[in-house]
Amino acid sequence: MSEVDPNFMHEVANTPRGKGVLTCIQCGRCTSSCPVARFLTEHNPRRLMEMIILGFRPDVLHRLPWYCLSCFTCLDRCPQRGDVGEVVFAIRSLAAREGDVPEGVVEQAKNLFETGRLVPTAEFMLRQRKNLGLPEVSTSSKDAETIMRRTGFDKMMAKARGERSKVRK
Amino acid sequence: MKYALFLGCLISAREPSYELYARKVMPHFGIELVDMPETTCCAPFSIQSLDYIGWLAMAARNLAIAEEMELPVLAFCNDCYESLLMTSIILRDDQELRSKVNKVLSEVGKEYKGKVKVKHVLEVLQQDIGVKKIKDSVKRPLTELKIATQTGCHAVRPKMIHPTLAVSLETLDELVKAMGAKTVNYDKKEVCCGGPLRGVNDEISRQLTRQKLRGMKEAGANCVATVCPFCFIQFDLGQLEIKRAFGEEYNLPVFHFIELLSLASGLEIKDWKMRDHRIPVDPIYEKIMGR
Repeated sequence: MSEVDPNFMHEVANTPRGKGVLTCIQCGRCTSSCPVARFLTEHNPRRLMEMIILGFRPDVLHRLPWYCLSCFTCLDRCPQRGDVGEVVFAIRSLAAREGDVPEGVVEQAKNLFETGRLVPTAEFMLRQRKNLGLPEVSTSSKDAETIMRRTGFDKMMAKARGERSKVRK
Repeated sequence: MKYALFLGCLISAREPSYELYARKVMPHFGIELVDMPETTCCAPFSIQSLDYIGWLAMAARNLAIAEEMELPVLAFCNDCYESLLMTSIILRDDQELRSKVNKVLSEVGKEYKGKVKVKHVLEVLQQDIGVKKIKDSVKRPLTELKIATQTGCHAVRPKMIHPTLAVSLETLDELVKAMGAKTVNYDKKEVCCGGPLRGVNDEISRQLTRQKLRGMKEAGANCVATVCPFCFIQFDLGQLEIKRAFGEEYNLPVFHFIELLSLASGLEIKDWKMRDHRIPVDPIYEKIMGR
């Protein structure tokens, strides 16, 4: 049996973007419309909301939040305008504070921190741009770094890397 | 009309021909694009997932640059549009949150006053230029093209929340038809391309792309038109990955919508061969340019 935290629903509801969990009526329209749920039974948006309501904190945070596409089909279908896709952002940010972030996402955050961009410019591409007569790319990596330090991204990334190396051992 | 051009990471670093077409075709229709200096990434979904204030501050820094330029923002990438537009609406309506974000921005010498409007390229084409004008200015009608369109989730998501916004799933089809092409109704047309799970769960990401490609092929499409640079990669590079993973070949050339618009409008771009495509587009080019 998983550990139960009766306050978890309110923790999620009080996290930015998480308040939709309070209006969920468990109708399941989100699951029936979810393109990922079709391929992966583990990803079940209705069940995810139920697990938040019931307080299965570790399961929700550490097993489930990263399958969502953020396609917002569920937002379109939810009769409560509750938007599981939005709640997913809340639980991801809670998981991230505990260092649980997939490697691909950590990589993107690292790129942003170091270069100011999610997709850094490669040398050959800069040459190609020049050949096409496109202007130089103008990015402020310094400001991206400052904003990320100020909002705690740097600590989160360090923690995520630490957590994963623990898992690998 | 004059806009601050927000290109974002993917177009400028991976899809230079998209940028080239955009810079040629928008002025052709009287839309002036002014480059934004010293931007950062828009902070799309992966970054939004990690921290709320961090997201808003990163996006608002870009908006503050446009505010200094006294121009509305024009985005060609769906994720840039979604991130910047939602931030502009949230910070326009919530003063308390705006001052919280501005506290972060003060450390990079910026302030966002909440005044910038954010537009998607489809919105500008439909509303500033108009479908009729586009139709009237077609020089090379795309009559032999049967196009499977992919608008992309993050272009239409804001409208789900704010119904008065312009971009819907019909917008792209309307514009494609104005250029003389046919559009096909294919299975899973409204579904996500699978791109957001690229690098997080590649297996599911590919399955989503594959089911759409199957639907496109069955509906008789001879090419695909995307708007978002992420959708483009998902269908173009994705076809090679799907061939490797499932042994299936779809051979569907994928175009940036803006590229088709440039061609249909009769623009002469010096080096047509410089393209982002991995799936060969020559058969379709021949249909458009005439043999």
